[in-house]
Amino acid sequence: MAFLLRRVGFYVAAFIVAATFNFLIPRLMPGSPVDIMFAQAGGTLPPEALAALKQTFGFIDQPWPVQFVAYLKSVFTWDLGLSVKFHPLTVNEVLWRALPWTLMLVLISSLIAFAIGSLAGILAAWRRGGSFDSIGAPIALMMQAMPPLVTSLLALFLFAIYWPVFPTGYAYDPEIDPGFSLEFFCSVFKHAFLPIVTMALAQVGGYLITMRNSMINLLGEDYIVLGTAKGLSDRRLRMAYAARNALLPTVTSFAMTLGASFGGALVTEVVFNYPGLGYTLFQGITARDYPLIQGQLLIMTLAMLTANFIADVLYVALDPRLRKG
Amino acid sequence: MRGLLKILLANRKAAIGAAIVAFFILVALAAPLVAPFDINQRVASPHEAPSAEHVMGATRMGRDVLSQTIHGTQTSLIVGFAAGLLVTILGTAIGVTAGYFGGKVDEVLNLFTNISLVIPNLPLMLVLAAFIGQTGPFVIALIIGLTSWGWGARVTRAQTLSLRQRDYILAAEMLGEPAWRIITFELLPNLISIIGFNFIGSVLYAVITEATLEFLGLGDPMVVSWGTMLYHAQSTSALQVGAWWEMAAPCLALVIFGSGLSLINFAVDEIANPRLRTLRVPAKVLAALTNRTTNQGGRA
Repeated sequence: MAFLLRRVGFYVAAFIVAATFNFLIPRLMPGSPVDIMFAQAGGTLPPEALAALKQTFGFIDQPWPVQFVAYLKSVFTWDLGLSVKFHPLTVNEVLWRALPWTLMLVLISSLIAFAIGSLAGILAAWRRGGSFDSIGAPIALMMQAMPPLVTSLLALFLFAIYWPVFPTGYAYDPEIDPGFSLEFFCSVFKHAFLPIVTMALAQVGGYLITMRNSMINLLGEDYIVLGTAKGLSDRRLRMAYAARNALLPTVTSFAMTLGASFGGALVTEVVFNYPGLGYTLFQGITARDYPLIQGQLLIMTLAMLTANFIADVLYVALDPRLRKG
Repeated sequence: MRGLLKILLANRKAAIGAAIVAFFILVALAAPLVAPFDINQRVASPHEAPSAEHVMGATRMGRDVLSQTIHGTQTSLIVGFAAGLLVTILGTAIGVTAGYFGGKVDEVLNLFTNISLVIPNLPLMLVLAAFIGQTGPFVIALIIGLTSWGWGARVTRAQTLSLRQRDYILAAEMLGEPAWRIITFELLPNLISIIGFNFIGSVLYAVITEATLEFLGLGDPMVVSWGTMLYHAQSTSALQVGAWWEMAAPCLALVIFGSGLSLINFAVDEIANPRLRTLRVPAKVLAALTNRTTNQGGRA
């Protein structure tokens, strides 16, 4: 429990640092930050909305520390200001509308990659130097070097343009009413298929390598030799003895990779015109919608911290040593 | 040092990887000489398909794609190596300082490292790049360098912590050697494989990240690099109109260069940790390796 509480304290600190970046970056830029931030906004927002926006970001007639407190107050009451591009929606509304799509892509693709990658890693390590290992490991390595940008473009071109099996955009067919119908789910599945596969491909190699290396290191331990000597079955030794312990480093890397795969989702969504956070953000960048760009950093940080916290909980469940004290 | 080089070249993966990277460096250096066309001139019809004259076809603006890719190699490699160097220097400095001095210094630096690891990189870079406005290659290298050192710092710190307990470090301290001398002459040489691993991984990360930032429209569109080529291709819907070659060339360059770097890194990992090896290694190299590891006191 103490371990988890300490982690929560750390996550709050990390979140404040992310907010501090948001506060400092516009103020440290040469020129007047208010002008940079709101030059674009002035064109679309009415004057009173502009005044409210300045208030939210702490641009008040006070010294910096007071401004900072004002900004933190907005952040912790989850007031992220108004979007310039999607006026009259607030940043909050824009981001929450897009987030579920991104979460779906990230979670499903990560779980698929984790399951396939870890299993393949276990097999590769078990027969190290065997045919699966000497083919699988280099392929995994090559896949790691494939940027998500390239795999997405390739998948889009091959399976949506050259052989138009899958759609080139949107999260579901606009002619179908969203709701709990089979037709709608099929449409969502069809639209999400390519993004999920490309995102999973980008991660699977990493899990394979992490699991393989961690497993190989464990297979040399004395308790494995003892297990073999006791005559335990290969399967039991592999899964319950070696893989169970080798899984620990992968859980940490799962949390870390989740952050990277949020980044990967940004690119994949832009390529597939998929209406998640990445695509929304891309529209925000093109319109220089600064409140939106700042808001995404906070929401991405929050997602990352949540993923890390879940990994912590899993870690406690998997490693009994952490449960004491 | 020569022994290390010998081991690297004896490893087939490392040799192939090094050859690929060397090829790209040569192309970057000789770009104006090898590029068949002027990249600022209209030399073909819009979206001309690949032919004997234009091997990789032409862009919508009628620019030769192969020539652009060759010139883009310059920018992408400079950004990659500059950012990679910055990431490695920052990560090593922070990791070694934290690991060597310990106590309060370690606590503070480690806290910063951990925080930098949980704040997602790409979103933070987007905020930075958006506020800086038109970001040229050097600004992008700086942004990548300043935000991505966390992983290297963590790994270096862990290794420093374990080296710190070794007898030869304690002996140097007993002799009253100053801290800077112990760090530069005793610690750093023994961290070289981790530093190298960190550098190569960071270059790979930087090249991909630069391309990503530019693809998302946060680069300087006037600069020719693999990322801006993809950006222009995307904004002129090259794929949708069937001009796949406009995207294929920079994508291929990214993938091949990236594979070269990761082949080297995979080999470095295998050499540093002999248990991971798959390929059969000549007995001589194996002997050299075992000597090296026993000299260093075996596994930590």
